[in-house]
Amino acid sequence: MDKEARDVSSCIATAARALGLYADNVSDYVDDPDRTNCLVRRYARFGDSPIVDRFVYENPRPDWVVLVEETIIKAVDFLRGTPERSGVLVINSQRDPEYLLKFLPGEMKAKLAKFVVVDAVGLAEQRGGSPWMFVRNLSELAFDRMSTEGAEERLAIGLGIAAPLIGALVAATGVLPLDAVAGVVADRDAMMRGAAHHAVVEFAAVAQGAGKPETTQATAPAAAPHAAR
Amino acid sequence: MSVRGTRIPPHLRLPIAGVTPPPTEKEGQRLFPTGNFRFYRPVYRDKTPPCNNACPTGEQIQKYLDFVKHERFLDGYLTICEDNPMPSVTGRVCYHPCETACNRGEHDEPIGIRSVERFLGDYGLALPENPVAGGLPALGGTAVAIVGSGPAGLACAYHLRRRGYSSVIFEALEKPGGMLRAGIPHWHLPEEILDAEIAKLLSLGGIEIRCGVRAGEDVSWEDLRGYPAAFLALGQDVGRKLPVDGIGSRGVVGALEFLREAGLGRPVTVGRQVLVIGGGNTASDAARSAIRLGGGHATIVSLESEDELLIVPEDLEQARDEGVALTPNAALVRVLSSAGHVTGAVVCDAQLARDDAGTVVPRLVPGTEREVPCDTIMIAIGQIQQLAWLPSYLSDGGVITADEHGRVEGNVFVGGDVLRGPSMVVDALGDGKRAARDIDRLLTAQELTGEPDVEIMPYQGLNAAYFRHAPRTPIPLAPPEQRRASQKVEVTLAYSREQAIAESDRCMSCGVCNGCDNCYIVCPDVSVLRDARENGHYSIRTTYCKGCLVCVQECPTGCLEKVPELDFDDPAGVVRMETAFAPYDGAHAEQSAFTKRLIEETIAEYDAARASGNGRTAFMPNGDSGVTS
Repeated sequence: MDKEARDVSSCIATAARALGLYADNVSDYVDDPDRTNCLVRRYARFGDSPIVDRFVYENPRPDWVVLVEETIIKAVDFLRGTPERSGVLVINSQRDPEYLLKFLPGEMKAKLAKFVVVDAVGLAEQRGGSPWMFVRNLSELAFDRMSTEGAEERLAIGLGIAAPLIGALVAATGVLPLDAVAGVVADRDAMMRGAAHHAVVEFAAVAQGAGKPETTQATAPAAAPHAAR
Repeated sequence: MSVRGTRIPPHLRLPIAGVTPPPTEKEGQRLFPTGNFRFYRPVYRDKTPPCNNACPTGEQIQKYLDFVKHERFLDGYLTICEDNPMPSVTGRVCYHPCETACNRGEHDEPIGIRSVERFLGDYGLALPENPVAGGLPALGGTAVAIVGSGPAGLACAYHLRRRGYSSVIFEALEKPGGMLRAGIPHWHLPEEILDAEIAKLLSLGGIEIRCGVRAGEDVSWEDLRGYPAAFLALGQDVGRKLPVDGIGSRGVVGALEFLREAGLGRPVTVGRQVLVIGGGNTASDAARSAIRLGGGHATIVSLESEDELLIVPEDLEQARDEGVALTPNAALVRVLSSAGHVTGAVVCDAQLARDDAGTVVPRLVPGTEREVPCDTIMIAIGQIQQLAWLPSYLSDGGVITADEHGRVEGNVFVGGDVLRGPSMVVDALGDGKRAARDIDRLLTAQELTGEPDVEIMPYQGLNAAYFRHAPRTPIPLAPPEQRRASQKVEVTLAYSREQAIAESDRCMSCGVCNGCDNCYIVCPDVSVLRDARENGHYSIRTTYCKGCLVCVQECPTGCLEKVPELDFDDPAGVVRMETAFAPYDGAHAEQSAFTKRLIEETIAEYDAARASGNGRTAFMPNGDSGVTS
């Protein structure tokens, strides 16, 4: 799952830089990625002012969060530091958004502006038995392990499950133009499928209090672990 | 360098590496609740083994085999008795659909379930007291009428007694047992065993058997409707007649009537050349009994070819061993007689054929007629029941019609052969059990429901690598020459205690956890707990299990399943790990607090020493080149 997360943040940062923004993409070694299939994070940041602190390995204040695998919604407080009602959470799941929201405690839900559910596994190109990157033959797996440690990236960026996730994130946030991001994503079609097919739960603004969230079927969601600053 | 007098500051004396307990310790598992990124959770979910599903009485076969394996015979016996009142009987006469369904048959050979059941049944009969009697509820006032004291009737009475109802059984013959006595020969089911099983049943109290009371003559349909509930289990004890010339001659008897006379101990005469017409188990039983009683020869003449015979294979093999001859694909055309007594029969080649309704229509081959000398002919071509005493809309061609619950009308149920046509003893026992359950439901104003859907464990779901091939323990048989000599010599013999244990040990416990400890052993993350069980199973330390699924892969019985973690939506089950993303928050902060305090204390001590002007600092070795003020 490291590859998918890396692709999402990498594509966002690359696209932002191509648009003339200041951008950075960071592999977070705090998460100890030398263990296999453990929880890892990647983040990208972009903005219109130069990045001063280059070596910030952890993202203390994510604006957009992408969960590459649905179960992580149970795992950790991935919205640590996000201000109230400003976070966008994109989750790769086939399940009903209302069901998934049951797993978020009130204090995490309070930080959300949008909750986006995209069936990235279903929308991704079906390679072999499964679109998951970790379902692959040994030699491919070896390259991925190497690149996890910073070795050469042997696979195109923006493949598989990452592509629909990027599409859903970009469409749901609306900050970056979809076409610009599509230019750096290898599987452009899958990204556009993700941009077109996802469910969004919008949360009322802070001032209106914690009303019942409103569900819409939007033409765009997507996300990558990312913080602009 | 001398270390004499070296003073190690307190925070460095700590075994730092040991501060964070490894996850193999409980405290470490609390610090690293890695279970929160598990995609699948291993879940113990018992399925129904195929044997259990195939048994019409629903015996929990896996369960009692497991008890026998551990030499807990009484528990095993009580387990059978939850479903089957007479394991000693079925352990001898059952056609064991369980063994046919046994998954072990795909592996090597099926378990000898029937023989283990017989072992347990005989164990139970030998007990000085009936262990079932202890746990029964007190009798309520309601008495249910049961017609027929065959297996269906007795089972119904037994299960009604288990539910606190008393019952009155009407039996037409002079002794109870129905077909168990009047249809099954003694060399198959000894009379003493049957008597003992019935006596055991009666000792529970609340069951009254009135012998010599025939439904339709001594007790009418209206009488039965007068009871709060009734169960019709008359069986089918009237043999079908064969419409050929000379069938009225002396020496032509119905096989059922012959078996009944012999079973009840009445004097019967059998010739030395016996022809049995029919291709079912009754034909086989009659032929084998005829050899024992007459000392002569018996030949089974059947429409069926050898492959089509309805005789169960092991019975057929035993019959052959005893000298029973087969004339397959033949039909009786005419009976030859002299002075009113049979002297022979004319048979011809024939094939089994059925018309659209399923009725047998023999297809004879003309020109193949031949004479066969004989002095006795037994007809075993099926059986019916006389049901003229019932309202005509309730019966159809020798059986009673009923709905899918076996309900005739009102509170009257039907079961056994008179419902389903000639079938197995164990089918009748199952019908009796279901009727007792449904009668209880009606009398307590509950809905009748069908059988719940069950998930049957297929062989492919087991981890077959764990079961070494082991041959089935052969069922001991009496030698054929002894068997031929007497009605009293049992053909199949019992397993010894050791054999029963060894055979039970072959059970693969399909789909049911039998506590083999394999999951506990293979779990790389000490997350399978043996001491804290749930539902009799192991429990999983869900906060720590990472969902590697090794246990699921390695479960021999297939009772462990993987379930997507997000299917569990209990918010209390969510333990968010603080540590991975924030090493100084949450549980990690707690465990590092002690070290942190020690460091702060040491610094404070050092600062205080400096401030007081004491030249020696705590961090310098004594003696050597200590800083002085």
